Amino acid sequence: MTRQVTVDGRSGRIEIEGSRLRYEREDGVVIEGEFSLAGSSVLLNGRSYRVVRGAGQEVLVNGRRLSMAVFDPRDLRPGLGAPRNHGRQEITASMPGKVIRVLVSPGDMVEEGQGLVVVEAMKMQNEMKSPKAGRVAEVRARPDATVGAGEILVVVE
Amino acid sequence: MANRGEIAVRVVRALRELGIASIVTYSDADRGSLAVRLADEAAPIGPSASSESYLRIDRVLEAAERHGAEAIHPGYGFLSENAEFAEACAAAGVVFIGPPADAIRKLGSKTAARKLAIAAGAPVVPGTEHALSAWEEARDAANALGYPVLLKASAGGGGKGMRRVDRESELQAALREAASEAGRAFGNSEVYIEKLVNEPRHIEIQILGDHHGHLIHLGERECSIQRRHQKVIEECPSPFMATHPDLRESMGQAAVRVAQAAGYANAGTVEFLVDRDGKFFFLEVNTRLQVEHPVTELATGLDLVEWQLKIAAGAHLTLRQNEVSWRGSAIECRIYAEDPDHDFIPAPGKIVHLSEPAGPGVRLDSGIFEGWDVPLEYDSLLAKLAAWGPNRETAIGRLDRALSEYVLAGVRNNIAFFREVLADQEFREGRLSTSFLDCFFKRRGKKEDDPEAEAAAAIVIALGSRAAVAVRQENGAWLEVGREDILR
Repeated sequence: MTRQVTVDGRSGRIEIEGSRLRYEREDGVVIEGEFSLAGSSVLLNGRSYRVVRGAGQEVLVNGRRLSMAVFDPRDLRPGLGAPRNHGRQEITASMPGKVIRVLVSPGDMVEEGQGLVVVEAMKMQNEMKSPKAGRVAEVRARPDATVGAGEILVVVE
Repeated sequence: MANRGEIAVRVVRALRELGIASIVTYSDADRGSLAVRLADEAAPIGPSASSESYLRIDRVLEAAERHGAEAIHPGYGFLSENAEFAEACAAAGVVFIGPPADAIRKLGSKTAARKLAIAAGAPVVPGTEHALSAWEEARDAANALGYPVLLKASAGGGGKGMRRVDRESELQAALREAASEAGRAFGNSEVYIEKLVNEPRHIEIQILGDHHGHLIHLGERECSIQRRHQKVIEECPSPFMATHPDLRESMGQAAVRVAQAAGYANAGTVEFLVDRDGKFFFLEVNTRLQVEHPVTELATGLDLVEWQLKIAAGAHLTLRQNEVSWRGSAIECRIYAEDPDHDFIPAPGKIVHLSEPAGPGVRLDSGIFEGWDVPLEYDSLLAKLAAWGPNRETAIGRLDRALSEYVLAGVRNNIAFFREVLADQEFREGRLSTSFLDCFFKRRGKKEDDPEAEAAAAIVIALGSRAAVAVRQENGAWLEVGREDILR
């Protein structure tokens, strides 16, 4: 079996035949050898690895965190690519939490670095700042609303 | 037990060891918590927001009455340093496991505590002796002290409502943020200002006293390794004591004097900043059990929570100062749900895998279990991992070994980060200060490239379904295949 792999943004591929493995990265690094698998334990070339899957693409290998995706190359379809928002910048929540204050309204002119929204999680307040000077095009954050990491709070153009 | 998380578990354990029934209060978000599972009884006190549950004196006391509680342990944070709560307990005929309300009041306000410390002859950091009422006042005070200065919440603790300010242009925003954070965390938005002592060590003294006038100290804890003014690694003894052998006694005596001046009883902590020359400055008193109390317990062999309970019940502290001794070295790491690679941003979520360490010299005070959703409403402390050894080097070795066994997946956490810190040369040599982590990040090495580890991970992900079948054979392979299809 052959699988496409991306680890922390770098791609590679693995080939598995029975208990033999070949892992080749795009930078030319190659790992080959015999392995055995028992639950979360992998023995590879005699070394012991404990592999645990976390949330999303998070994988812990002997306690070290990797972001890893493994997929079948046959599943790959040519992507269209995300449409580019020229000059539009979405300000997203950097952590899950609760919106404490919304400091701007649509139409406001803001400076680079100006605070837009205050989000609180686990008793820590974080001010989401504007990455550029511009006009507030959209305010999606609502006071007291719970937001997830990456959720769009404000759009500045 | 009017608290949550690992400290609720700690107190439930102490109560069970003494044969006393435990009642744990819980908010909606904590209905499934470990403390509730372990307690003898549990009482709901309201919705998830702490202002509607853990901070509600009326609801906590209602729960106490409903369950016939004789005494309340407040843990740390929430109502633990609230004099009104201590008084309300007394009025309701329930023993508050902590100092007298009057001592909390005297020491609870940091500005009042400063005055008291000065009167008791303990050196203090220069600063304002009252809460700031206006921005102009803050500006003038900061200019008089000279930048950098530190804004602190009068009712504060745990770094909430605290801001370092390096120049006047930052002062106004910092003041607003500090006051707002303090108001939300403590229900009191008063802020005062202090001169920042450069690269100090944070060393604190554990005190313990009974209600009959006997009060002693249990030595120091060094808690210099902090992020956002919150401790992450604590140890006893402080490595600084090796070169300053008299410091423990002089700080201990200063702490005892401050506590006695306030009429203190039960467990408490007097915090100091210590500069490079070994000069120490009184910082504040935490009128409660500290998060990091286990390192003192490991080094002295005493059980602080047991003493808290006995003292609250009116017992005499039958321990004289010269009977306290320190053996070996203890170090603790606070395991937080946070991302050390991205500014320690809190990371609530579901714990999908948990394997906890054990073995010689290891102590784990944990409030979590596999499958639990770490709520976003509260502090991100998950557990405390501590190790004891006959000397500091052995303790570090054991702690690192225990961290290597600790697998916690699903929520980002600082376990792997602690292994890097423990391997750091400056840490090993005990050269600590409160700027340790800032400097550590500057010299921190790049993430080690380990292609074989990547290959091992890829094997598990690629063959994941087969591995799952192997461990769940009781279901039959066809069932697993069917389930995988449904989940796809």
